[in-house]
Amino acid sequence: MPRSPPLTQREPALAARESATGAIYDLGYRGYDGPRLGRRSAVATLFWASLRAAFGLKRSGRAKIVPWGLSAFLVAPAAVVVAISALVPGAPTPFSYDDYLWNLQILVAIFVAAQAPELVSADQRNQVLSLYFSHALLRSDYALAKLGALAAAVFGLTLVPMLVLFFGNVLLAADVPKAFGDQLENLPQVFGAPLLYALPLAALGMAIAAYTPRRAYATGAIIAVFIVSAAVGAILGEATSGTVARLAPLVNPFVAIDGTRDWLLGGSIAESPVHDSGLALWWFGAIALAIVVVGAATVVWRYRRIAA
Amino acid sequence: MALVAAHALTKRYGSSVIALDALTLEVEPGIIGLVGANGAGKSTFLKILLGLIQPTSGAAQVLDMDVTRQGTEIRQFVGYLPEHDCLPSDVSATEFVSHMGRMAGLPAAAARERTAEVLRHVGLYEERYRPIGGYSTGMKQRVKLAQALVHDPKLLLLDEPTNGLDPAGRDEMLELVKRTGTEFGIATIVASHLLGEIERVCSFLLAIDAGKLLRAAPIASFTERTGTLGVEVEDGADGLAARLTDAGLQAVVEGRTVLVDCPDERPYDIVRDAIDDLGLALVRLEHRRHRLEDLFRAEEPTVDAA
Repeated sequence: MPRSPPLTQREPALAARESATGAIYDLGYRGYDGPRLGRRSAVATLFWASLRAAFGLKRSGRAKIVPWGLSAFLVAPAAVVVAISALVPGAPTPFSYDDYLWNLQILVAIFVAAQAPELVSADQRNQVLSLYFSHALLRSDYALAKLGALAAAVFGLTLVPMLVLFFGNVLLAADVPKAFGDQLENLPQVFGAPLLYALPLAALGMAIAAYTPRRAYATGAIIAVFIVSAAVGAILGEATSGTVARLAPLVNPFVAIDGTRDWLLGGSIAESPVHDSGLALWWFGAIALAIVVVGAATVVWRYRRIAA
Repeated sequence: MALVAAHALTKRYGSSVIALDALTLEVEPGIIGLVGANGAGKSTFLKILLGLIQPTSGAAQVLDMDVTRQGTEIRQFVGYLPEHDCLPSDVSATEFVSHMGRMAGLPAAAARERTAEVLRHVGLYEERYRPIGGYSTGMKQRVKLAQALVHDPKLLLLDEPTNGLDPAGRDEMLELVKRTGTEFGIATIVASHLLGEIERVCSFLLAIDAGKLLRAAPIASFTERTGTLGVEVEDGADGLAARLTDAGLQAVVEGRTVLVDCPDERPYDIVRDAIDDLGLALVRLEHRRHRLEDLFRAEEPTVDAA
């Protein structure tokens, strides 16, 4: 790469204009006397920048493939369902607000596995962390901003298909105002279910991703945790009986999430092992809450300790 | 107001490694060189000033703020250039520096404006829109300086700013550091293990060794004249030394040079006459100056000691 000449020789344009007009354009260094917004602003900046990064915005095209591809796959069934019911009024719909995310959970899992490392691995690998920590924010601020950004990203990802279903049902109805009134009761499910998926999955994914600067390892580890927990839950449920079999579904975070959704928002779904377990629904809520709390604490603890 | 003050500042790692050993110092604004061998505690000291690591005991203030309690306030007014690589590869210099400006508390518009200004100052032009991953070491080092300057800090901490640069790159970086410190009036602490670099840009020097303060003084006082006259001759240094000793002067031989103790003006004529009498070819006649390197010698070589 050719070396850049020293600064003083590098402003021919300025020099030319100077001689032409007799004006002095070299303003020299100007200080900054404006406001310094401090820690709150730094955390907000980090949150928004990380949220953009989760969807590959302001990044190369390659960084957009995974998040936008998954978003498209996640929205497609909702769009198809809406289109069919528009063309064939009264056709049975395969998805409801209650089971939509449950049926497409694999896509949400892949999003978390791919994008949690996207938010944090590079900062560790490139040692950008020392720069963040030498600015006006605390280590725990960094941890929580990253976790919050991932949770917001998962929330946005899962909210869009729910909104597609909702507005499809409203706008394609014969009587739009009446349909809107009828659909209003579903709004808690439309917004609540994505939130209940976002918080535990982000906490779990970030707790794993924060532990390695290697992106591929983090993605592999998160996928492994989802697969192993689902498999262990299913196998234990089948192979054992009594208390162990009943508690087995709790091992799978997606079952814990669905149980929590059922508990708080209602709408049992047949495919989920929640009801077969016969457990009180608050059990699932407790597990989901534990995942959020332990996950968040792990992320904060990790960044308190990491050398930078 | 002291720029930086430390009192009995100590940092231990485990029970055996002492990075800083009861360091006590106070420095005024200026370009300050922090010099010491690798492992002397330079980086540890800078990181404590930033509140990045906590001291084991003792206290330190930056701009009259306490490093253990007011870390976030201090960091709003301090720019830091770490010794190691610290740049992401997939974003452009413009985006990164502006992001760091916002992390330092600048509003979005101000961050963009200042980014353009500091990138121009460090000499990054068209390249600044390309991803940093493709930059040369010299350009990366400029980006590191730019991100440390973007929020117009009151204090700039530069840890080995010429790390990894070739000689020409070093010259440019040192020139940039000097300009930043003198023309812009930003107080700067430059940590380096290279005395020559410190000598070129700094006005004040802190020498630390094994976590202890060796000396703190203006650079000039390290390089002032000593009371020694160096007389370099083609041949016959031994004969000259003997002749001068006979004349009542303290003289020792160091290679082709005779070092003469020279407290007043009397030795000049004696040396001149002795060289003339012996018919020697005189190469050089000079007052010896202290050298920064002498700081780190166990004992300064003097005529008396030799």
